[in-house]
Amino acid sequence: MSDNNSHKDSFEYVNPDLVDNILSQYPDKRSATLPLLHLAQTQEGYISNAVVDTVAQITETHPAEVMDCASFYTMFYLRVQGRYILQVCQTLSCSLNGADALVDHITDRYGIGPGETTPDGKFTLMKVECLGSCGTAPVVQINNDYHEGLSKEILDELLESLQ
Amino acid sequence: MPLLKIDNAELEVESGITVLQAATANRIEIPHYCYHPALETVGSCRMCIVQIEGMPKLQVSCNTFVGEAPPDKKIDEKYDMVVHTQTELVKQGRKNVLEFLLLNHPLDCPVCDQAGECFLQDYAFKFGNAHSRFEEEKRVRPSEYLGSQIVINQNRCIMCTRCVRFTRQISGTGELFVQKRGYDFKISALEDQPLDNLLAGNVTDICPVGALLSTDYIHKNRIWNLHEQPSVCQDCSVGCNINVFYQKDRIFRVSPRENHDANGYFICDIGRYGFHRFEEIERMTSPMRRDEEELTEIQWDEAIKVVAKNLSDAKEKIVFVASPFHTNETNFMLGRFQKGFFGALPLIEEEGITYPSGFSINSDRSPNHRGMNDVCPSILEDMASEIDQQNIKVMYILDDGVDRELDQEWKEILMKMDFVVVQSYALTEVAESAHIILPGLAPFEREGTVTNDQGRVQWLRPSLPLKGKARPDWRIIMEVVNTMGKQELSYSDVGEILAEMGKCFPAYEGVSLFRLGDYGLSINGKVKSS
Repeated sequence: MSDNNSHKDSFEYVNPDLVDNILSQYPDKRSATLPLLHLAQTQEGYISNAVVDTVAQITETHPAEVMDCASFYTMFYLRVQGRYILQVCQTLSCSLNGADALVDHITDRYGIGPGETTPDGKFTLMKVECLGSCGTAPVVQINNDYHEGLSKEILDELLESLQ
Repeated sequence: MPLLKIDNAELEVESGITVLQAATANRIEIPHYCYHPALETVGSCRMCIVQIEGMPKLQVSCNTFVGEAPPDKKIDEKYDMVVHTQTELVKQGRKNVLEFLLLNHPLDCPVCDQAGECFLQDYAFKFGNAHSRFEEEKRVRPSEYLGSQIVINQNRCIMCTRCVRFTRQISGTGELFVQKRGYDFKISALEDQPLDNLLAGNVTDICPVGALLSTDYIHKNRIWNLHEQPSVCQDCSVGCNINVFYQKDRIFRVSPRENHDANGYFICDIGRYGFHRFEEIERMTSPMRRDEEELTEIQWDEAIKVVAKNLSDAKEKIVFVASPFHTNETNFMLGRFQKGFFGALPLIEEEGITYPSGFSINSDRSPNHRGMNDVCPSILEDMASEIDQQNIKVMYILDDGVDRELDQEWKEILMKMDFVVVQSYALTEVAESAHIILPGLAPFEREGTVTNDQGRVQWLRPSLPLKGKARPDWRIIMEVVNTMGKQELSYSDVGEILAEMGKCFPAYEGVSLFRLGDYGLSINGKVKSS
């Protein structure tokens, strides 16, 4: 993930081979919009206007069509996010097992509400729907990793271990 | 061809068209929002649902195609498809759809500019419930500018996405998109690319509700106070069909009128907002004579006498300057001055644009260049040298109007003249060099026919009353010709001139205002007279 100040005017994929590979999997280029956006987000951390323009160019569509798609899915971030995205599950099991308390705890600790990022760009807090790990509620997904059966204390330890 | 039954009507339709198209073509009303014949079908509003026999659920008629059924599957042994649009199930379905579309609608018809021509209003009245069961708080969102002249009222939007599809398929500029989804979705323009193309105004016409509004018309008037006059746009040689909405002596709005032989469904913003440039100009409302450097008002009788005398004295040493901005009839009348030379000012050309959909704005910005050439006796190619050779000192000019900027060559030509008559509606550069100015009519006051670049003759109809002592241009010429004494013309309206024109120019034979109607006639294929 890149740092917070990367407002670049242009965007290029670091690995053009991956782009070609994605394009080769679809009968028409427009269909590659979603995977190309995913690839760009892994590289940049979010979908900037420059990313939209680049994807539109590759898929031969209007930037507005790419924005259609990018703004539709909540997992595409249209703003710069923290290095660690704390995704607290809100669905039934987690909720019953104290997910709300975890959200409040993070809010108290870092002064950020859901959808907000700490000023140092380290953490972004998000409420998300079912992460599919109801048996080990409550669950927090940090970037691509699940952290299960959390309490405030374990969460604190976890957060401190993150650099 | 498949045999289709819609309610009680038996229709034989082409295979492959949709149920909605078949119904519309046969004047059976199926309410719809997102479907627009010029745009790709998406079937998202669900308003056009109908019941089709053999299909388990209500179907969207805009995206259900009519085809041939195998012999053993035919209904009543002859119909390929049987559609019901008036059953209880359909009626209830429409009510439900409308209830959803109106969930967050502010019901602000009294202050909405679309009221009176709003499909949400019409259909809710005709097909909807009087009440909503929605008791929660409505979603309220601020209005936004999508472009410099387009405002969106997000609360009234029903997300039919006609505007979005327009920017992608018709203008090809792609400024608009649907942002987010579900309860949060809304129409947005890209941050760095506002909706400012030359076709942008059309989104306000295709918007079936009061969401997209033009800042030019917003809160100016109510549609039921305005008169609607079908006419033709005069801002380029495409000759787009328009409706002019006016009240008393003021135009409030110009909107496109469907004509597949001219403009299709749309017009450009040059034509849409072009009427404003005639509002501020100082109009010529009385004949004027130049005494020394001053222009003084004179009476019509006197003006015509002076003009007639000077023209008679000049014998054949006169140039009559025709205008591609004037109607065929006016230019034809100019040809009734039988002795003299005929010329025209150089074409006004600007950048022409053709959009991906085929809609184009021509570089020739005069409405009637083709017509002028058709009905005027041979127009000199090189007028300047002819004037020198023949030592011509008298000129009679039909003024192009406020769009004309004179070039140096023309300024010099006009300087050389001893006597210049200009027929104009404003004190233009040309009129400033006149010895006599005869006040004619401005573009939205004129009546007559114009011929577009494709050879389509169309009826230009007036929407504004005459101003002051101004007279129709063809009548002024007729009076001058009569006063000169060699001929006695007695046309009482443009229709009679048109009939006379048909006798002189075979291409226009048989063309009458009645036959032109709203959509015009093509004169291609007829022999063009020289």
